Amino acid sequence: MTPAPSTIEEARQASGEYRAGGTDFQQRLRSGVSSGPPIDLGRLPDLDRVEWNERGAARIGAMVPIATLASDTRLATAYPGLAQAAGALATPQIRAAGTLGGNLLQRNRCWYYRHPALSCLKKGGEDCPARSGNHLLGVCFDLGPCVAPHPSTLGMALLAYGAEVGVAAGADLPVAGLYGDGTDGRHDHQLGEHEILTAVQMPPALEHERAAYSRATSRALAEWPLVEAVVRLIMSGETIEFAAVAVGGVAPVPLRLEQVEQALTGRPASGEVLARAASLSTSGASSLPMTRYKLELLSGTLCETLERALRWRGAGRDSR
Amino acid sequence: MSETVRVSVNGEPHEIEVRKEESAVEVLRDRLGLTGTKLVCGEGVCGACTVLLDGVPVTSCLLPATALEGRALTTVEGLGPDLHPVQRAFIAHDALQCGYCTPGFLVEAVAFHDRWRRQHGTDEPTREDVAQALAGHLCRCGAYVGILAAVRDACAGRFDSGDSSGPRLEAREKVTGEAVYAADVRHEGQLEGVILRSPHPHARVIFVDLEPARALAGIGAAIELLGKERVVRYVGQEVAAVAATDRHTAERALALVKVRYEPLPASIGAGAAQREGAAAVYSGFRRRPPSSGEGPPAPARWHGNVRGPVGAFSHRARRARRLVAEARERGDPLLVEGTWRTAAQVHTAFEPHACTARWDGERLHVHGSTQAVGRVAKQIAEHFEMEDELVHLVAEHVGGGFGAKQNLSPETVAAIELARAARAPVRVALDRGEEISLAGYRPSAEIELALLASHSDGLRALQVRAYGDAGVSVGSSIAALCRMVYPAPAKDLQDFDIVNHMPPGLPFRGPNAPLACWALEQAVDEAAHRLGEDPIALRRRWDPLPQRQRLYAWVQSHPLWHDRPRSGSQQGRFRRGVGVAAANWLYLYQLGCEVEVGVEHGRLFVATGVQDIGTGIRSVLASTAADVFDLEPAAVEVRIGDSRLVSGPASGGSMATATLVPITLAAATEVRRRLVAHMAEAKASDNVDWAELIASAPDLTARADRPDDDAAPGVGRPLAGTGLAGRLTERMVRRRSKVGIGHGYTGAVHVSEVEVDTLLGRIRVLRAAAGIGAGRVAAPELARSQAYGGVIQGVGYALYEQRQDDSRRGIVLSAGLEDYRIPGIGDTPEIEVHFDEEGFEHVPGRGVGLGEISTMAVAASIGNAVHNATGWRPYELPIRPDRLLEGIRA
Repeated sequence: MTPAPSTIEEARQASGEYRAGGTDFQQRLRSGVSSGPPIDLGRLPDLDRVEWNERGAARIGAMVPIATLASDTRLATAYPGLAQAAGALATPQIRAAGTLGGNLLQRNRCWYYRHPALSCLKKGGEDCPARSGNHLLGVCFDLGPCVAPHPSTLGMALLAYGAEVGVAAGADLPVAGLYGDGTDGRHDHQLGEHEILTAVQMPPALEHERAAYSRATSRALAEWPLVEAVVRLIMSGETIEFAAVAVGGVAPVPLRLEQVEQALTGRPASGEVLARAASLSTSGASSLPMTRYKLELLSGTLCETLERALRWRGAGRDSR
Repeated sequence: MSETVRVSVNGEPHEIEVRKEESAVEVLRDRLGLTGTKLVCGEGVCGACTVLLDGVPVTSCLLPATALEGRALTTVEGLGPDLHPVQRAFIAHDALQCGYCTPGFLVEAVAFHDRWRRQHGTDEPTREDVAQALAGHLCRCGAYVGILAAVRDACAGRFDSGDSSGPRLEAREKVTGEAVYAADVRHEGQLEGVILRSPHPHARVIFVDLEPARALAGIGAAIELLGKERVVRYVGQEVAAVAATDRHTAERALALVKVRYEPLPASIGAGAAQREGAAAVYSGFRRRPPSSGEGPPAPARWHGNVRGPVGAFSHRARRARRLVAEARERGDPLLVEGTWRTAAQVHTAFEPHACTARWDGERLHVHGSTQAVGRVAKQIAEHFEMEDELVHLVAEHVGGGFGAKQNLSPETVAAIELARAARAPVRVALDRGEEISLAGYRPSAEIELALLASHSDGLRALQVRAYGDAGVSVGSSIAALCRMVYPAPAKDLQDFDIVNHMPPGLPFRGPNAPLACWALEQAVDEAAHRLGEDPIALRRRWDPLPQRQRLYAWVQSHPLWHDRPRSGSQQGRFRRGVGVAAANWLYLYQLGCEVEVGVEHGRLFVATGVQDIGTGIRSVLASTAADVFDLEPAAVEVRIGDSRLVSGPASGGSMATATLVPITLAAATEVRRRLVAHMAEAKASDNVDWAELIASAPDLTARADRPDDDAAPGVGRPLAGTGLAGRLTERMVRRRSKVGIGHGYTGAVHVSEVEVDTLLGRIRVLRAAAGIGAGRVAAPELARSQAYGGVIQGVGYALYEQRQDDSRRGIVLSAGLEDYRIPGIGDTPEIEVHFDEEGFEHVPGRGVGLGEISTMAVAASIGNAVHNATGWRPYELPIRPDRLLEGIRA
């Protein structure tokens, strides 16, 4: 009997696969796609805390439940884009059990990857069977050998915040660096085997930020997004003073859309400006035979998210 | 590796040794016997296993058992002892059907209710509030309408007190988690069986070595499951099975079984199967493919993998072909032509195919999840070469079937065989991946349809070529069904099956009919559009069935229809549309069935070997018998779900009610006669108090079999006018399937209102109206629930449901409820159900079944609504966002 580790050091020594809330791990375990015995992180101290520094920036422990990101008033006020994304992903039960760190480091949802009888790059195989097979839910930014979109909604939201992640016994790492540029088809994140994500360091909250999250799905609720987006804006009168835009469901990693941001910044929030910005979202895209539709969904989702961000009036108030 | 966790479960402290890999649901069900918590999807999507962890709902399938340390769990069993207001509301609103998802919904709904009441008092939450809170739950029967109403009412305080009565007889057992399903049964020393499946789409099995598996500690038995032929024809076909002390050990043993295959060329999908030189699925003269229809497939010739045409239901086929060809030649705008495509729709009943088998000497006791206890018990006896009396099959509660559980299936064979070899009870329950990949689906098809309309008369000609794809199964009859709705002087109707190396399709709620409706009802809509005629007016012109004529009139006066927009008139992002479609079905009943009605210990009972798969047959039997005595249904004890009872019908083909109501009436009337005679002996009285009389009566029973229907002047014989083909079909169905085809058709008219988001490609069905004509409704509340479910499954068929395959390997990719998407609570339209109760006066009880007719035309009505909203006609199911966006841009 090996008890669960009670210090980070013990956890780093253990061999197996880390398990936080278990919502991703247990499913992969059941379908025979997990890489080892679970190492429970639930007894590590202090990982379920939110700490605020004097600059008004939160450091959110990796074991903080996803539901807390949506319901904690101070977090939701400071980081409305993160809170909305957290409140809209998965289902209430998953949000209650799943953690921030687990969401960031979850494995992708590709049906080839999740199938016990199939081999793929992410399981040590030679190629991506979805590329030549059924990739209806695949990427439309074909950045690397694997065509599965990155699954982490929170990773995308944190990218829009320029957050950093804390790694045990290492320096903080930008979220973009956690995921890389998408050319590595073998991993869903860049942490090594014994590296433990301990916290997320948010930037100081911006005053008057308005934000929105939305996703394109076929059903009304509880479905993995075909495309998703987070938009953060700061307005000065009718002019967009600051814009941060990130999208998911379209590439092997969450994407920050700088061209879109530039097309918004310093311009009036007119229909034309928004439409032009949204249309820039697909620049650099390279769809697969079955994913052309995602290009249109991407610009559509961005339009929707931009409009909702502009209409947004504060945490706890309906933006619809 | 294991560790000890201390956990409080429903207030009781436990110390349990758990393995690190285990999930909480396994500990609850298998270790603590708390089987109210159901395991359905195993991936946190459906919520059936939801429990409260320190008061917060979580899915116990994804909750590591080790995470229970120091926590408090509440399961559905812990909501008691008194019923919670939400439980009472579920009973009153009939917010459940098969009951398998019910405990999970309830645990979550109770938590929501209690939280809501603390924050909002008795303000009523909106539909959206409740849908958001219950978004992590799915119900395959489609009980969402009742669930939404129940939770809102309970939150508003309307069930804070009061009794716990409702229309469904067994509702209390289902809301408390007491109802026992096949996979819940646990005998002393019971082993868990798992099945080894072929990784090849087509292969000969050279040898199977089970010895390494048998050598593993904890293994009870290992057996082969191959037929004599030793050929596998699809990925996942059964090869061997192992039973062990627990699932994990059994799975380890499976990995040790050595199988050598000789892989053979495979044809995956209908396209590949028709190519030049395609590998043949069957060869030789004795082809015995399984059937995807409800009866035996009509005889037909084979050309390679193509079976057909079956064209017996054509009528002046050559003339139809000529009329269509001439119209095409002259570019006649009244010739509506198209190719419609549908997707494989998986049954995925929430209770998986499951079986618990126990041998007692020569006697065999089986708990199965089946739609036909009587038939399957006989099939078991036949398969294992036993006397019928030695087989005892029980299915007290069945968590849904939808057509996929009508015959002896591999998990039952495996469990029985393993139990015999291991000399111990064995359970085999499919996991969701197996259930979705292998345990049944509605076949897909490509349907070429041409319809020649007229300005003032009826339909002039119809030509249908339907190519069904049911994997290794055959039995497509899509074109044949197009014979029955709109009369025409000439119809050329040809059905084909394209067999290929994919798992077998099975009958699914109105086999073939939703496909026929998808093509035909859209073509009729298109004809109306071209004629500039109201689609209902056109149908009233073409459709002779009196029930549907009345239903059309009902729809025409309905505001939903009144307020529909002009087709293609809208330009904005959100476009609204309304569509209509009609359905037609046979009135079938099972032959050779009996019902026993009697008094035992002063209580009235009804007994027959039927089973309740969520349809509510218990309540139908109770209310039918109760009516004879002017009693409440609750006064009747219903005994079903047991092969030792007198022979009952399968719960399929909309036959159970149509078969049993007349018999129950006859038997109950006989009991009444005897009670009157008994009373006359005891004392004479004018006012009979039946309750009192029954309470004091001696034990007595009366048995009846099905009385003949009355003569039905003016009601058509369904296959009349189809000549020899019709008579042969009728005789074959009677002899081989033991099914009678009664007089008269059932009919339905469905109206759907959609909102199309042209930016994000999403279609929402906002409102639906279902007019259903199946005669008098035996149990109205339950019939309504079933019809709601029919509409919701139709929404799924129209918009979301599609099995995704890998066409090179023959592997089902969407092998979970996350990737195979069924409608959720947020997709539930406002549904209105209207019954037309006339037309079956010739049947004792005056009504027949409606389970199937309530779903057939829903998808077509949604297709027509999308056309009304956007001017674009969807030809392919499901109408996914990518298809919609592409369609409306073209």
